[in-house]
Amino acid sequence: MPVPINIKRWFWVHRWTSLICTLFLLMLCLTGLPLIFEEELDQWLSKNPPYASLPKDTPMASLDDMVHIARQRYPSHVVSFVFVDDDEPQVRVNMLPNYDAAPNLSHSLQFDARTARLLKDEPPITQQSQTFTGLMLSLHRDLFMDLPGELFLGFMGLLFVFSIISGILLYGPYMKKLKFGAIRKDRSRRLKWLDLHNLLGIVTMVWLLVIGITGVFNELSTPLFGIWQQTDVKKMLQPYQGKRAPAPDEQSSPQTAFETAQKALPGMTVTSVVFPGFKFGSPYHYLLWTKGNTPLTSRLFSPVLVDARSGELSTVVKMPWYLRSLEVARPLHFGDYGGTPLKIIWALFDLAAIFVLISGIYLWFARRKSQEAYFLRTDTLST
Amino acid sequence: MNKHFINVWAIPVAIAFVTIFGLLSSLLGTGIWHILSWIAMVIPLAIILRKIKG
Repeated sequence: MPVPINIKRWFWVHRWTSLICTLFLLMLCLTGLPLIFEEELDQWLSKNPPYASLPKDTPMASLDDMVHIARQRYPSHVVSFVFVDDDEPQVRVNMLPNYDAAPNLSHSLQFDARTARLLKDEPPITQQSQTFTGLMLSLHRDLFMDLPGELFLGFMGLLFVFSIISGILLYGPYMKKLKFGAIRKDRSRRLKWLDLHNLLGIVTMVWLLVIGITGVFNELSTPLFGIWQQTDVKKMLQPYQGKRAPAPDEQSSPQTAFETAQKALPGMTVTSVVFPGFKFGSPYHYLLWTKGNTPLTSRLFSPVLVDARSGELSTVVKMPWYLRSLEVARPLHFGDYGGTPLKIIWALFDLAAIFVLISGIYLWFARRKSQEAYFLRTDTLST
Repeated sequence: MNKHFINVWAIPVAIAFVTIFGLLSSLLGTGIWHILSWIAMVIPLAIILRKIKG
């Protein structure tokens, strides 16, 4: 059993880590709630017409045709990457004014994957009206501040994790005289709230910890990908250093690259084709992101490099452990990996978390009394 | 390991294991594993409701 001096220290840690992060955590819980149902909300709020109904086994049209249509529409723009959806029959060709252009100038053309018919020509994000889930995501991810916002919220998440751990350590000595789940309703209001705070906190502790840790991990994705590009990717492209990158008319076709990757990795699905020259790829290759077909491997993406001149396979890239962990952290944070019932469960846990936060604030307001009572009790118990 | 410790931690630790099972079974499996995952994840929520009402 920890001696009271330790309890006092954990109490201090719990109070201060919680106090600093609580308001941000409340914001994260509130904006996270609709984000659990992002897919459903977007579908419901979108005015897109449904896809043409074609037989299920209709083969995919050629990516070359879609890229050709996109280039005809925007002859001065460059293709950055093509997204091949495996959920809906759509392909999105993403374009930029040039490869050095700011990312918010990126615009995309949506095609029907089976007919190569242009469905929608979307303007850059800066010219689109803000969607509800887009607004929630911006607040949730970075408070509209990009990387500094991500790192700041990541730090708040870290404090949250410490506050959960210190809370768990305080739970033991506090519950010595109480049965699990006891709520003293007939005493003071503060005691009732304290008991509720403890009950909801301890019952949801694993979920809270998982969401906290994976949330911090997600906020680190920009620097983690940066590290990878500066180390592994650089090393991989070393043999090409100094060589001339293939000009557009020397490049093999994206459809060839797509088929090469698909043939090289039979059990995998290609989800995007990054064009040579785009900064998130290679000047000399098509970079294709592929994923597996089992529940777990469909979360794990492996990049494949296809030589942009010859259209032949160069390498299947091995991802470092930290990006693999990041990929597993994503579903565990989003709760989007077990159907609608799991999403509803996620929302209910989120509501419980909101209650733990609000009751925590209340208990801080009533802190002096609470603290005195707490130490009085543990002192008498330990003597 | 004293009696107090077991009294205090038996149920929370059991709930923790149930939650971990629920979180992983949807991640690693499909079909029946999703259903088992939903059942596991509902248990902690049901306990909260019961204790609040109780």
